[in-house]
Amino acid sequence: MKHSQLKEIIKKKASKIEFAIVTNLENGLSEIYEPGKSLSKEFEIHKEQIDNFFKLKKNGVIENTEIFIETYIRPIKVIIVGAVHIAQYLVDFAKSLNFEISIIDPRGYFASEQRFPDMKIINKWPDEAFKEIETNGNCALIALTHDPKIDDPALQHALNKKFYYIGALGSKKTHENRCQRLKEAGFNSDQINSINGPIGIKLGGRSAPEIALSIIAQLVSETYKK
Amino acid sequence: MKNSFDEKILEEANDWLNANQKVVLATVIQTWGSSPRQVGSRMIVNETGDFSGSVSGGCVESAVVRECIGLIKDNKPCKKIEFKVSNESAWEVGLACGGEIAVYLEQIN
Repeated sequence: MKHSQLKEIIKKKASKIEFAIVTNLENGLSEIYEPGKSLSKEFEIHKEQIDNFFKLKKNGVIENTEIFIETYIRPIKVIIVGAVHIAQYLVDFAKSLNFEISIIDPRGYFASEQRFPDMKIINKWPDEAFKEIETNGNCALIALTHDPKIDDPALQHALNKKFYYIGALGSKKTHENRCQRLKEAGFNSDQINSINGPIGIKLGGRSAPEIALSIIAQLVSETYKK
Repeated sequence: MKNSFDEKILEEANDWLNANQKVVLATVIQTWGSSPRQVGSRMIVNETGDFSGSVSGGCVESAVVRECIGLIKDNKPCKKIEFKVSNESAWEVGLACGGEIAVYLEQIN
C-alpha cells in the first residue's frame, strides 16, 4: 500500500463516510471503494461481491479469489444531552469505540469547547438542536441533565424516532416522575419501558467515571443486541 | 450490528511513516475455528521490530514481527502467512486456542 493511500483512508475514517479497502492479496494492489462509485479495471468484476460485503457489514476474502475486502461502516450516532461531568468521562471512554458523538446543552457555560475539545457541541435546546442532526433507529440518546426542561424534549424526540438505545440519568424516584410525564404526553408503556432508567448497568460505583463506564457498557451491550 | 472498535492502528502507522520509519501492516484476512481476533484486526511493525496492535492476542505476534522484518529486508511488497493450531511443545508458534488464521503483510511506502 502507498503512504498516500493510507492517508486517504485515515481522512475517510475521520469524515465518517462508508468505504471499503479492496486488496488483491497476490500482487498487493489495493484501492478505496465507496458504495455507488466505480472501481478500477483490476477490481471491477468483483463489484457485486464487494457490495454484498457492505450489505452484510462484514470483512473477508471473496470466495475462490485472492481479493480481500475490509468495509468501514458509518459509526453509530450517540447524542449526549447535558455537557456535565459524567459526559466528559463518557467522551473519553467512547474515544476508542466507533461512535460518532454529539453533545447538546443549551447552557453555554457547560458545553464549552474547553471542556470538550474536538467534540461536536450544539449550544441549543434539544428541539432546535435535533434540527441539525439527522436521526433514526440507528441512534442512541444519553440524557444526563436530569432536568425535565432539557431531558424531556430529547427523550420525546428519541422515542418518536425509535432510537435503539435511550438512557436517562436520575434516581428511581426521578425516573418514576419522568415516566409519568411521558405518559401524560401520550407515550405508551412499551415506549416508556424502552428507556433505560436509571441509566447504566449495575456496577455499584457512584463516581463520575464509574457511572460513565456503566453507561458505556450498557450502550455497547445494546448495540450488539441489534 | 457491527460496530467495530477503532484501534487507530492506521493512524499510528501514518505517524511512524512521518517519522521516517519503515512500516509493514499485518491484517487478519481469514480465520477458522476459534481464533482470538476477528478478520480485519491489525498490527504494524517497523524495521527494528517495534510493533503496535495485535493479530492474535499474543499467540503469534513474535512470528509476525519476524516475518515483517524479513519483508522489509527482502524489500518485498506483500506476503500471506497462515498459522495453525500449536502443538504441546513449548515456544512453538501457534494458536493455543485451536484456531487458524491467515495474516496478510504489506509494506507501506
